Amino acid sequence: MTDHVIETRALTKRYGEIVAVDALELRVRRGEVYGFLGPNGAGKTTTLRMLLGLVRPTAGDAAVLGEPPGSRVALARIGAMVEAPGLYPYLSGRDNLRVLAGHAGAAPERVEAVLSETGLSARAGDRTATYSMGMKQRLGVAAALLKDPELLILDEPTNGLDPAGMAEMRAFIRSLAQGGRTVVLSSHLMGEVEQVSDRVGVIRDGALVVEGTVDQLRGRSSLRLRAEPLARAAQLVAALPEVSAVATSGRLLDVTADVTAAAGINQALVSAGIAVSEIGERRASLEDVFLEVTSNGGGSR
Amino acid sequence: MTRQLSSELLVLRKRAATWILLGIWTLLGVFFAYVVPYALDPEDGTGGIRPFLPESLAGTLLAGFPFFGGVFALMLGVFALGSEYGWDTLKALFTQRPGRLRVFAGKLAALGIVLVPFVLALFAAGAVASVVIAQIEGAPVNWPSAWLLVRAIAAGWLILAVWATLGVLLGVLTRGTSLAIGVGILYALVIEGLLSAFADSVGALEPLTQGFLRANGYSLAATLGATVDSIESSGPGSYAGPLVSSVQALAVLVAFVAAFAALSGYLLRRRDVE
Repeated sequence: MTDHVIETRALTKRYGEIVAVDALELRVRRGEVYGFLGPNGAGKTTTLRMLLGLVRPTAGDAAVLGEPPGSRVALARIGAMVEAPGLYPYLSGRDNLRVLAGHAGAAPERVEAVLSETGLSARAGDRTATYSMGMKQRLGVAAALLKDPELLILDEPTNGLDPAGMAEMRAFIRSLAQGGRTVVLSSHLMGEVEQVSDRVGVIRDGALVVEGTVDQLRGRSSLRLRAEPLARAAQLVAALPEVSAVATSGRLLDVTADVTAAAGINQALVSAGIAVSEIGERRASLEDVFLEVTSNGGGSR
Repeated sequence: MTRQLSSELLVLRKRAATWILLGIWTLLGVFFAYVVPYALDPEDGTGGIRPFLPESLAGTLLAGFPFFGGVFALMLGVFALGSEYGWDTLKALFTQRPGRLRVFAGKLAALGIVLVPFVLALFAAGAVASVVIAQIEGAPVNWPSAWLLVRAIAAGWLILAVWATLGVLLGVLTRGTSLAIGVGILYALVIEGLLSAFADSVGALEPLTQGFLRANGYSLAATLGATVDSIESSGPGSYAGPLVSSVQALAVLVAFVAAFAALSGYLLRRRDVE
């Protein structure tokens, strides 16, 4: 039995000439927080809509919790908030949840439980038209939790939240992943995904261009050093057995080596009479990776 | 299904538009069926003051359903589904457990239930108005039979249900409310209204107009006491006939409800929710 809660095979969605999702191969493992990154228009939301059965694929197929997307069996085990939460503005937060709980077949007690979990109990009786954007987002997450789902799909859940609210939401999402629940978090915010996700997939032009853990995506760390004379330093460092590559970057050297080799490299240079004024770890941020793979010609990772 | 129905009743019950439409429909229904014609000239019609008395309650009120009531029911139907697109709530509902058709069935059932107070409120208000007129005129207060009242209420509900399901279909087709209401009223006034008017002089149009909502609605109303006079003087909703049999009217109206509901359900099930 596969341990993937989401598995797509050449999933494709075309709107006329426009290919929104292009033969997407996505695998989300059970119990992980999967960060789904991509620039605006990359196909993230269309993919999520297909996984929920809201949009029919043009080609390819997908299995969600082992079932076809949108099937009653699958939907009973999925909680989702795609884009802005859909709310009846004239109903209170509590009544909005009651309506959804009625359709979902969720126990009525779940309404108060998720209101409490998302910190909305105090305003639950107010019409949602009076809610701030952040409160609406939290109510959307509360709605997604009504079924106590095995799989939670959240599309930009921190939209409209202030920094404190965003930090709170990130911690909340991490807590939701405990107990074996799988969370798919779609976002364009690197920091959010980096801090919360176990694995990350980056989509560009409808296709997955890179996937892995945050550490894998950021790649091996390297060293950057400033030394004089630079050419001699480069020659000497390149000859060291712990160094696999050296490149000059302006007045600096980028050295491909484990960070633990820094002391040895420094010692070798100083012993050779080369002045080392700076040596430190250099590592790509997730943002660097994102920009690299989402720019034209990227995606080789 | 019971919980889905109660969810949808909550959505309709707490919506101000439902109560506003109910209030306006009831007030204007009584106003145009009793207050205006009685105030203008109570003896003018073919039946004298008889249409204003309690004994004529069913026919007098039903004459206002096929067009005037239809427009209100159309709006209610459009709001029931069309608004869901604007609020993005359809997406939330369709990702719950029951599946699209069950959600739709819950919405239709709730809409059907909400139409009941629309009929009952007008009949209650009409009853009060007719008693007041009877008191003013010193006429006896004779009520129609309970059986006639039950059939009239059922017929009123069916006529409203046809227009409400047309509203649902237009709301789904246009994925909104404004265009749906515009198209619905345009259909009622221009398509049905003008063609029905031309049918008098262009005989070939007659079979077509006999399939219209207003022809069958008025025909059903006529079998329950609505006078030809009141049908022909219904302003923009007037219909000059010919009327069809009650069996045909009933069958056509039921078929329209089924067709509008089936087509709406098909579209909801097949189309992407963006």
